[in-house]
Amino acid sequence: MSVDFLHPGEGAAIDTNVPALELRGIGKRFPGVVALDNVDFTLEPGKVHALMGENGAGKSTLIKIMAGVYGKDAGTIRMRGREVDIKSPRDSLKEGIKVVFQEIALISEFTVAENIFLEGYPTGKAGSIDWKKIRADSAALFNRIGFNVDPAARTGSLPVSQQQMVEIARALAHEARVVVMDEPTSSLTPNEVSLLFTVIRRLAALGIAVVYVSHKLDEVFEIADTVTVLRDGRHISTKPIGEHSNDTLIQDMIGRRIDNLFPRKRGAPGSKIALSVESLSTAKKLSDVSFEAHAGEVLGFFGLMGAGRTELAKAIVGYDPITSGTITVDGHRLAPHDTRTGVKLGIGLLTEDRKSEGLMGELPVYQNASLASLGAFARLGFVDKAKEHKAVQDYVDRFRIKTPSLFQQVKNLSGGNQQKVLISRWLMRGLKVIVVDEPTRGIDVGAKSEIFALIDRLAGEGLAVVMMTSEMPELLGLADRVAVMCEGRLTAIMSREEATQEKILNAAIG
Amino acid sequence: MSLASTASERAQPSMLARLFARQELALLVCLVLVLAFFSVTIENFFSVRNMTNVLGQASLALTAGIGCAIVFISGEVDISIGSLLATIALPLIIIMNDTNSLLLGVGAALLFGLIIGVVNGYLVAYAGINSLIVTLGTMFIMRGGVYLYTGQRAIPDDASLDSFIALSDGRLFNIIPYSAVIAIVLLAAFGYMMQHRPFGRQIYAVGGNQEVARLAGYDVRRVKFICFIISALLATVAGIILAARVGSAQHTAGLNFEFQVVAATVLGGVSLAGGIGSLTGMALGVLILQFLSNGLRGLGLPTEWQLVITGMIIIAAVAFDEAKRRRANGG
Repeated sequence: MSVDFLHPGEGAAIDTNVPALELRGIGKRFPGVVALDNVDFTLEPGKVHALMGENGAGKSTLIKIMAGVYGKDAGTIRMRGREVDIKSPRDSLKEGIKVVFQEIALISEFTVAENIFLEGYPTGKAGSIDWKKIRADSAALFNRIGFNVDPAARTGSLPVSQQQMVEIARALAHEARVVVMDEPTSSLTPNEVSLLFTVIRRLAALGIAVVYVSHKLDEVFEIADTVTVLRDGRHISTKPIGEHSNDTLIQDMIGRRIDNLFPRKRGAPGSKIALSVESLSTAKKLSDVSFEAHAGEVLGFFGLMGAGRTELAKAIVGYDPITSGTITVDGHRLAPHDTRTGVKLGIGLLTEDRKSEGLMGELPVYQNASLASLGAFARLGFVDKAKEHKAVQDYVDRFRIKTPSLFQQVKNLSGGNQQKVLISRWLMRGLKVIVVDEPTRGIDVGAKSEIFALIDRLAGEGLAVVMMTSEMPELLGLADRVAVMCEGRLTAIMSREEATQEKILNAAIG
Repeated sequence: MSLASTASERAQPSMLARLFARQELALLVCLVLVLAFFSVTIENFFSVRNMTNVLGQASLALTAGIGCAIVFISGEVDISIGSLLATIALPLIIIMNDTNSLLLGVGAALLFGLIIGVVNGYLVAYAGINSLIVTLGTMFIMRGGVYLYTGQRAIPDDASLDSFIALSDGRLFNIIPYSAVIAIVLLAAFGYMMQHRPFGRQIYAVGGNQEVARLAGYDVRRVKFICFIISALLATVAGIILAARVGSAQHTAGLNFEFQVVAATVLGGVSLAGGIGSLTGMALGVLILQFLSNGLRGLGLPTEWQLVITGMIIIAAVAFDEAKRRRANGG
């Protein structure tokens, strides 16, 4: 009754008329966000089904529901026509749903072979683990797939690309009916990608339903039979790949019109260079990134997941070490890996991860706002509280920060108001350049336009705003110039007038 | 199939290479050095009598250390074991005095141990409270309870059953103390479980990366729950042997015992972070500290110095380990 990649041919014939997996009317909410709204997703056995959408479209949530990581709030799941209740990863694995997650999910202290059989160890007599079989079967599995990975290696000692191959192999070591691959090629070489595609085709030939999640259009056109597009948590389209072109697929992914979320009040940017970055590279991600940002300008950086936007943001404010290149703020060189001088020179980061890198949730609003400029309020080494409170109150009024008092714990504020507190922190310091990373992440739509207005105003006051975003409307609505990144490189810089969604997306795909 | 055969050959590096890659070898070398040093400097140190005596002394920490190491490997800590030693001696001695039955006494002690393990395990695994806090709490509660119940007086073993006394001074073939035999058998059994039974590997996986273990379909909470029960039951066994040795239930029994065990476990390369280490390592850690203590006493060094030296060794060992690991992970 089952198909096992290690032992093909042992399974009985699969009825291709019954969907392998059928999701109907799936709904999922998180506090303040509807992640999925009435989504249908049907997988035919033996078919490769691509799942596409912008960041935040709901792909990961849908996958995590299939994997049993999240429970669904609404809808039904059927495996081969039978309704199933998937409450945990174990339930999902038992149904034969194998998910290869984008983040490596392996025990780094274990050998490769043991990781492959993590889900269920082959046991011999009396229930003891059959290590011999584990070693032999994992070697055979790699051999069959054509991946060159040493099964005896300690997993954590392998490069990420090999770990990704281990993840893929693991999905095939046990009986599988549905194999989900979330951006499986993000760290594979072209040669390895073609091996992976051979494996996927063989899986499909064995009657397994494959879900392929990717941003890379060329890969999708090469491997997929069917494409489903999600947008803003809703199902947009499901079509055979033959009915799509690059343009129609991008159209489905972007879809919405840019409405009047973005009132522009500021004038044209100045010509003074506030930030200049030359040939910046880091050990992990960035290679040879150069650009300039002018006073009064919003320079928007777009890139897909893993393009290196956050890494760039952290490097240019002096938070992360760099391997080569220079950063010049307002005419002064910023030593790499030195946020202290960064703040002195007037460059600050509005982090994408407000909770762990930005706010001190337990502390009151005024302390969060004044953190970077305590020196300015100090007299003889003591903070002048009255002066501090007055300065913070000014910002609370100016930015209309909704808080019952300056003494409210900042964790109790809404996301939008938290963001304003953080912006206040930097402005109090007298910034010349502010780097904002995903400024509206986790902020609901109503508050978004306020943040946009605030960013507009910052630029209007003469700051250079460097904005990292994965949201197209935000980018096109706010930026004076658009820079596009792909895999750590800068692939395009264009003016607002030149920029179209298609051009940007093409540059982002590389 | 030539590709497959080379692959499987690669999967089995030579015995020697595997041994060198493991830190158990480094520990073994340390132990040999300690033994060699004291054999040269102290007369009769390297005698069958002294060796087996030290082994007997080490058997409490070896037995309880199994549980301590297993809880560490699962990514948690259990520091309630010292107080547990004193606690379970009460039902043991009282029931034996009442019934003259070793079996009933031991049964009662194990039942108490089980309940303590269930409480610790439930609070950590299901109620989600930090294990250091939970076991610190139960450590105080049990110690306080024992003080209250005994009025700080020892309860002597009036039954004086031969079988019970044999636990303290009996020797297998007149050579190896029974307590050491028990420790070795338990070590072998649990060592086998940790390396060759699926449940043992689940403990490593849970400690190594809880989220990955969950995605692999493991019931993380259940695994941790059981680890605390194992730890409590093994500490109970150690407590029974201790009670036999002192011939009574003592309110001060096992005071600071948990820290001796933690020290030996850490020295043995079992990481507090979880997922790393082995019972063999833990056992070598216990033996190194025990022989060191025995040897230093033989040299006439006061106990105070033994404490200072033990402390330095532990920090040095863990620092060395950490440096090695950082190098292995490339930065």
